[in-house]
Amino acid sequence: MEYPKQVTTIQAAAILISTVIGVGVLPLPLFAVRSANTGAPLVTLLAVLLSSSGLWIVTKLGMRFPHQAFTQYSEIILGKWPGRIGSAIVILFFAVLSSLAAREFGEVVITSVLKKTPLEVTVILMLLLATLAARNDMTTFTYINHLYLPIILGPAILIVALSLKNANADFLLPVWGNEPREILNGVLIIAALLQGSFIQTIVIPAMRKPQNAMKACFWGMFIVGFLYITIVIAAVGVFGPEETKQLLWPTLELAKTTTLPGNILERLDAAFLAIWVTAVFTTIFSSYYLTIHLASRLFGLRDHRMLSLFVVPFLFAMAMTPQSILQMYQVIEIVGKFGLLITIVYPLLLLLVASVRKKRGMQDGG
Amino acid sequence: MGGKVRLLILFKGIVLLLICWSLSGCWDRQEIEERAVILGIGIDQAEPDAEKKELPLAHKRGQLHIPSGKMIRLTVQVAVPGRIPLGPGMGGGESSSGGNKTVWVVSGVGHTIDDAINGLQQRIAPPLFFGHLRVIVVSENVAKNGLVNLNDFFRRNPEIRRMSWMFISKGKAMDIMKASPQLERVPTIYLMTTMDQSVKMGRFPNDILGLFWSATSAKGKEGYLPYCELDGQNNIKIRGLAYFRSDKLVGTTDGVDITLFMGIMGMNPSGGQAYVQVPGKSEYLEYSGRSRKALTKVDIQDGKPHVRVKIMIEGNIREKSDETVKLNHDVIQLMERQLEKDAVKMYQDFIQRTQEKGADIFGFGEHIRSRQWRYWDANVKTKEQWQKMYPDLKVDIQVQVQIRRVGMKAV
Repeated sequence: MEYPKQVTTIQAAAILISTVIGVGVLPLPLFAVRSANTGAPLVTLLAVLLSSSGLWIVTKLGMRFPHQAFTQYSEIILGKWPGRIGSAIVILFFAVLSSLAAREFGEVVITSVLKKTPLEVTVILMLLLATLAARNDMTTFTYINHLYLPIILGPAILIVALSLKNANADFLLPVWGNEPREILNGVLIIAALLQGSFIQTIVIPAMRKPQNAMKACFWGMFIVGFLYITIVIAAVGVFGPEETKQLLWPTLELAKTTTLPGNILERLDAAFLAIWVTAVFTTIFSSYYLTIHLASRLFGLRDHRMLSLFVVPFLFAMAMTPQSILQMYQVIEIVGKFGLLITIVYPLLLLLVASVRKKRGMQDGG
Repeated sequence: MGGKVRLLILFKGIVLLLICWSLSGCWDRQEIEERAVILGIGIDQAEPDAEKKELPLAHKRGQLHIPSGKMIRLTVQVAVPGRIPLGPGMGGGESSSGGNKTVWVVSGVGHTIDDAINGLQQRIAPPLFFGHLRVIVVSENVAKNGLVNLNDFFRRNPEIRRMSWMFISKGKAMDIMKASPQLERVPTIYLMTTMDQSVKMGRFPNDILGLFWSATSAKGKEGYLPYCELDGQNNIKIRGLAYFRSDKLVGTTDGVDITLFMGIMGMNPSGGQAYVQVPGKSEYLEYSGRSRKALTKVDIQDGKPHVRVKIMIEGNIREKSDETVKLNHDVIQLMERQLEKDAVKMYQDFIQRTQEKGADIFGFGEHIRSRQWRYWDANVKTKEQWQKMYPDLKVDIQVQVQIRRVGMKAV
């Protein structure tokens, strides 16, 4: 047995949710309205469906090889070297993804809250936190994600629910948006925000009952999708599609506009940012964990702890590469869309080849 | 062996210190008394020789070609630390020792908002802080030239709240910044309270900065702001609505139009009153609405949009000007019909006036965009096109008035 098998179905769903919800929620409504103005919720729904189908493929694949790591079964399916190259690309991609997330986090923090703190400090702190946390094993990883889940979900739902009362139905009609619209591009960009769901590849082998993986995925994706769509509905409903296009982080602006009943807190952005930092932490932590976990399997290392320290400087350098916040978003869009090839198309290829070559891992019964 | 363990402990210690030092976020610490907290901003057109007066900071004199005829004068109210009483117990004698002004009013000129703010910062020691900005007053003249730069600055600055109120002032915004109403120690807070209470009483629609921006951005809608004026030396009154076409002020209205506007939008609570003459008599009744509902429907007739608004108002009689008429159910019904007739006329007239300016503050265009999207996508598409089409829009108004109660007097 390679892994301690103790992740329950609920924990698997929790890991999925807290991994997927991350930096992306801030610009999410902007990406959505850019592609289809009032059709933004629809675009988000399509993106959730697209990434759910990607997750379905990943889960199918994982359930086919319930005891092996992603790196191992891709070698079994494609052969030693093609499989290794594939895994290396996946690892590289998630390394880039975590560094970009750290950079985006840093940009938000120094734009809106800590204006004097150097960007480097916020970014390196987030990376160091993720590194230290990622030195733990799968059990701790699971507990951390499980622990933070209610802290992320509860207040996010509260803010959305409170702001929905200011929403205006005119801003959400027609459901498919007015001309001009480019739905496909928006769907890809938003689906790219949901790529954290690939974490499922390392969760399934650690699950107590891998046959329940599909259930965990469904509930995880359902909750994430629900939250994402309601965030978009709230932001577009309150600001309107044209005003949302003017805002870099509409969700943050939404928190700024929302008041707790009875004037307890007049603006919720400070509270929201605190929660959001947690959400970002779990995302970076997970994608970082995924990176070094897969990398240590690929290189045949026994322990991923040393590797985690070794990777940090590279991640930091990558995070510092974009020259401005606007370039950073360009990079995020390109990397994200390219990533869909890695997190959806590549697993699909693996699944197809596996079923053609009739490759199958050890099942529980056999 | 021992060395390795010690190294590990050392490493962990360093990490712990690093985290404690950096996670506390003290890089950006700033004491509250080291901030110049800005409570209100007033924006006027600068006097013609302003260019000579300004302190060129981000540019050399005469090199910034933003039209200098449109330079602005920015007046800010800075809270004076320690003078603003925090609770009811703190009032009275102690604050009067060093003059009892709770705010300090400073003014400066510049080509753009931030240019003027930079100029002010040169004269105010602590860094200006906008997190508590509640009120922005813009003079009519500036608003007529457009608010593009203004909206841009306030959208970009992360400290600004969308819950603030923006006002258009008849006359100088600077005078409003200087006024100090008696009811509240901090003038801008008084202005805020005025608006919050007006919204609660239904005497003014909720129109915070964020809503104004949304309306200005929306394709089939225009923004409007409260139109205020200095009343005597130290008081401020709401005169009516100031309405926009894109970002330019195109018209102002009287107070009665606020009620009409809220009626067409079906906004509750309904705080407006109306006088109605008893047919054939010289007596007037005062009617006060309690709640209203408006249904707006748009359909396309002969290739043109046609808006139908049905407004239902429920309310009470509050006052009679004379005793020539005794109230009974028949009279009340008669008055309802009379009110309906008057109301339709007034609503139509108000819509007509906004149509002349091409300013669709009611958002009829948004109704078309959202409900008759086929027509919109084929014929309108942009905000500019809708502004051209709005004057020819056909709007039908239907009003249904109910008088429910007459107060404590029997007749």
